[in-house]
Amino acid sequence: MSQEFQLKASDTDKGNETEVFKGRPSLSSSGEFYDLAFKVMLVGDSGVGKTCLLVRFKDGAFLAGSFISTVGIDFRNKVLTVDGVKVKLQIWDTAGQERFRSVTHAYYRDAHALLLLYDVTNKASFDNIQAWLTEIHEYAQQDVVLMLLGNKVDSAQDRVVKREDGEKLAKEYGVPFMETSAKSGLNVDLAFTAIAKELKHRSMKLPNEPKFKLHDYVKKEVRGSGCCRS
Amino acid sequence: MERQEDGRDWAYRVDPYGFERPDDFDYASYEAFFSRYLVVLTRRAIKWSKLLKGNNSVQKSLKVKRYIRKGIPNEHRALVWMIVSGAQTNMEQNPGYYHRLLEGEKNDKLIEAIKTDMNRTFPDNVKFRKTADPCLQHALYNILVAYGHHNKAVGYCQGMNFIAGYLLLITKNEEESFWLLDALIGRILPDYYSPAMLGLKTDQEVLGELVKMKIPAVAELMERHGVMWTLVVSRWFICLFIDILPVETVLRIWDCLFYEGSKIIFRVALTLIHQHQAFILEATNFPDICEKFKQITKGAFVTECHSFMQKIFTDPGSLSMATINKLRETCREKLLSQG
Repeated sequence: MSQEFQLKASDTDKGNETEVFKGRPSLSSSGEFYDLAFKVMLVGDSGVGKTCLLVRFKDGAFLAGSFISTVGIDFRNKVLTVDGVKVKLQIWDTAGQERFRSVTHAYYRDAHALLLLYDVTNKASFDNIQAWLTEIHEYAQQDVVLMLLGNKVDSAQDRVVKREDGEKLAKEYGVPFMETSAKSGLNVDLAFTAIAKELKHRSMKLPNEPKFKLHDYVKKEVRGSGCCRS
Repeated sequence: MERQEDGRDWAYRVDPYGFERPDDFDYASYEAFFSRYLVVLTRRAIKWSKLLKGNNSVQKSLKVKRYIRKGIPNEHRALVWMIVSGAQTNMEQNPGYYHRLLEGEKNDKLIEAIKTDMNRTFPDNVKFRKTADPCLQHALYNILVAYGHHNKAVGYCQGMNFIAGYLLLITKNEEESFWLLDALIGRILPDYYSPAMLGLKTDQEVLGELVKMKIPAVAELMERHGVMWTLVVSRWFICLFIDILPVETVLRIWDCLFYEGSKIIFRVALTLIHQHQAFILEATNFPDICEKFKQITKGAFVTECHSFMQKIFTDPGSLSMATINKLRETCREKLLSQG
């Protein structure tokens, strides 16, 4: 089962094939220079916190009760520095409702990475992860970098999906996993940084550089949601 | 339009519909526009009072169409929308139907989907806050639940929450909002919200064809950079310009939408694109183009709703329903053949 999808994010063999719209250096529309640019897509059920996660990463903010349902598809850019290289992430935010998938899956094809989210306080959003993986398998590139995120871990008292359940599912499909909170910021930067590192290593592998292992990196850097595990 | 002149700050930070104005709201230009628009509103109000004198009803006619294009005064808006859309007739012919829908058995999945969006519908509007009295959130929930059970083929589609919310702000009446929503989704708009969203996809392509015909340089730019129309205009269609254009402008567009039908959406879209053609053509890459399409829905051109509405009937040139129907047919076939 775990080999059904060739989505192992640590598989860098195809790195050279990864299509990158390189700038050397280029100017992004916000006026920032960058060396590499990648497309990242946020997917997952309606209400799992995709937009909140993006805003937390982009602006470092979380304004409770200020978010509206995302209709259609939108994107924001953020340039971050990875090992001295400026990487621009063009992050696509999508509507989660099932009927919008027929509108949004046309964009999967161009995505270099996908962040698949569920909400730890919503069992149905977790149960739907398999369906999302099927969708991703069908429409995304074979070597797309994929990461599973269990969001909203700040709502400890409402949690219905255990961390172990997320870990188990992620292991089954061979994808890196972490729990996040757009509200507190827990692991949000890490999720995007890890993806940026993986994409950067794939596209500019230096001869003497040790192979970057996304799974190991995530395991090392991830923080727990409990107060004592930081 | 009511204005609260008591000098307290909050009255200005919240617009007459309950929406909080953004921190960077340009009060000076808005006041300048509004003092001019107030003259128009007053003149139109007198004309409408005469038209509706005594019987509170309107027949469809060239005169009424002209009146509607010039804007329905807010105090008559709900009534006129109800009449010209056929919602009034449907409501009268189906007494008690709305309330029976609410009392009937419910589809759990539908309820769940609607609940997910409750706190995410106009959090910037004071009337939708949990602390508001009355709080429109409950009425909004009822309308969407009733509609999802009334039109099972559509159920609930995101975007309907915003539309029903606007209807509530104007009618201040659940049942009327329900029947107006039915007029829009069931008759005026072609299949935007059903699970396949074929009508939406079709109309996005139709707009692409119209741009090719009327503003070819922009169509060429989009093609060259591989920007699909759905990316820049899907929200225009799904939300009927809510949260895209200023509230007052959206309402003026809806006045015509209820009377003249979905063609108006193309007129608005074409006007926005045509008017900003040179600006859009400055874009040199994919993200730039997307950014330009966001910019063109902002600023004085769209805030000045009266002149904007005049523009939509002249700027894009002729646009016959026959042309649109033909394009819809060919675009739909093309989409279906692509699977």
